[in-house]
Amino acid sequence: MTSVVASSDREFLDAAGAVLRSTAPGEDPLEALGWWDLLSELTDHDARSAALALFRAQGRELADSVALGALIAQPYLAVTGHEPGQLVAAIARRSRRGERLVVVGDVTDRTLLVDRPGRGAAVVAASKVELVRVAVPGRLALHEVRVDDAELAPVATEDEAVAARARGLFLGRVAAGLEILGAAEGTLTLAVAHAGAREQFGRPIGAFQAVRHLLAWAQTDCVALESVVTTAVRLDDAAPPRYSEIAKALAGRNGRRVCERSMQVLGAIGFTEEHDHHHFHSRVLALDALLGTSAELTHALGAWCRETRTDPATPVTALLASAGA
Amino acid sequence: MLHITGSSESGPLRDDACAYAVAFEEWLATRPAALEAAAHPIASYEQRVAATSALMRVLYDEGWARYGWPEQLGGLGGDIVHRAVMWEALARHGLLSMAVYEHLEVLAPTLAALGNPALMARLLPRFLSGTETWSQGFSEPDAGSDLASARTRAVARDGGWAITGRKIWTSWSRYATWCLVLARTGTTESRHRGLTAFVVDLRHPGVEVRPIVQANGTDELAEVTFDEVPVDAERLVGEIGGGWRVAMHILAHERGTYGWFRHNFLQREVLDNLSLGAPEGDTLLGNALLDLAAIRSSSFAGVRAHAADSVLGPRAAFVKLMLAASEQAVNDWVLASDPDLAVGVQDDHVAVNRQEYLFSRIVTVYGGSQQMQLDTIAKQILRLP
Repeated sequence: MTSVVASSDREFLDAAGAVLRSTAPGEDPLEALGWWDLLSELTDHDARSAALALFRAQGRELADSVALGALIAQPYLAVTGHEPGQLVAAIARRSRRGERLVVVGDVTDRTLLVDRPGRGAAVVAASKVELVRVAVPGRLALHEVRVDDAELAPVATEDEAVAARARGLFLGRVAAGLEILGAAEGTLTLAVAHAGAREQFGRPIGAFQAVRHLLAWAQTDCVALESVVTTAVRLDDAAPPRYSEIAKALAGRNGRRVCERSMQVLGAIGFTEEHDHHHFHSRVLALDALLGTSAELTHALGAWCRETRTDPATPVTALLASAGA
Repeated sequence: MLHITGSSESGPLRDDACAYAVAFEEWLATRPAALEAAAHPIASYEQRVAATSALMRVLYDEGWARYGWPEQLGGLGGDIVHRAVMWEALARHGLLSMAVYEHLEVLAPTLAALGNPALMARLLPRFLSGTETWSQGFSEPDAGSDLASARTRAVARDGGWAITGRKIWTSWSRYATWCLVLARTGTTESRHRGLTAFVVDLRHPGVEVRPIVQANGTDELAEVTFDEVPVDAERLVGEIGGGWRVAMHILAHERGTYGWFRHNFLQREVLDNLSLGAPEGDTLLGNALLDLAAIRSSSFAGVRAHAADSVLGPRAAFVKLMLAASEQAVNDWVLASDPDLAVGVQDDHVAVNRQEYLFSRIVTVYGGSQQMQLDTIAKQILRLP
């Protein structure tokens, strides 16, 4: 896969992939990567881009960790006094049964952060809540959190929580966007390999223009997404309003398109349980459902732009400044 | 005017594109008359070109349009980032398009790099100052995507050349003084190796420019015929037989950076139509904004690559595809938002919306069709069999 990411980012992406592939059960790959140390240095460009590259690697490797919740919780640490790695954010999700909290990855021995807009933030030990496994394919450990309100220990008032919440959402959306990118790249790699190997009518199906164009479109969608999410990482605080929503909405939309085009090229084998395609596809769908779906965010973005007459384009001076970073 | 009174004054803005951006913004905030005259919907293409040329003249005299170009060509130094900043700001302040000055970005960098230095020192300042504009004579009736089959001929004559043939889809020839023509100096069988690039004076006897009125009512395209048109030896661009290199130099730079210049005007189109928008169109608008964000960050990377003296190569195909997608997404929303676009033209705003909407349906054809871009990605990036 081609990439515009700088070579240091590329190195971390490759390193993260290698660690995620080789970690023995019971070991913490984030520990092995030194990822927890990066978490307290997110204002530094290189540390931030390394920390976030983990998510792209997780998508490619179908790996799974508590990193997403830990990243979202990071801006709250100054208020709660926890060490990086202790605190993991539960993510609110709209379900048919109303709003539900979910956690990603194995949260055993962690403290959960429950931040409810309007009510401030609270914490609770993971041992004090009921975790109900949600049957999500895609090798993603997703648990619904059932917690008694009496167990929640308030740590931040609504006023104190506002800034941390905005920052946590920004980081979380960009991270989820990168993981969707990784998963989309993962299945596109399988589809490209399949197009080169699978023969029909006496030649590889990748020799047929209809198939080539499907894959070229899928690659274009990956490159577009990569550009926006890596720009979000570079801009960070200088990003214009709603930029993380744009990145997340684009991730959901492009990620799904890449999966659909890849499956078309893979043919029937891509729709079987034995083939890995569905793991990547399901991970994209599950991540699209967290922190705002593409459908919700895209509509809200249009409404906001129309109602407020806001120009959502990144100022050229911000692009210039971040390019030097 | 102070900032161009001497090289010591121009230095800070030349060396710091951010400082240039801030200073230019301050100048634009004074709403100069030439900007006011050009920065609103103008349905007549001729009037739009005239207003844009008048603006270019002022931008040149004030120095702003000279940043980003070398001093020997009438510039004040700096690089493409200055030009990227200037056009972005003009679009944000209401200019609707670059009109014929798109060719400044498409042709001038290659003319500066590969043209005869003395000739370019005479001609390019006139282009920068809005005095004489250029067109590009590449496509022919039988040579579209397959450019290497071009048949327009150049034969050696009296120490120079004589050109005979027919070019089509040559944008803005009607408004142009000069045309960069790709002509065959070798045999037809020599394909891309037998092509040479020439600078042709469109005012010369033997040149006939026939404007082609497009389906959207504008006449920016033309068919140009050449009948034994003499061309001096100094008007050769690059080497004899080096025309393909000239064409590829143009395409390699244009495809990676054009998206930046163009997409700013799509951003402008969104802002100009927000008052027409309705809640039903919010998802279409949101989608267009996603596509615009993608072309903005990707094409800015193309501008940076150009400034660092590298090109995107086959990766420019991604930028071209993203630009077309965003142009169509923006205009899908404009069609849904402007109730008059499809049925009637009462004023310049509706007329321009209609022109832009219809034009957005052909953006997948010009400058290298969408199918060619997809082929490039499949072959050179995905390495499919």
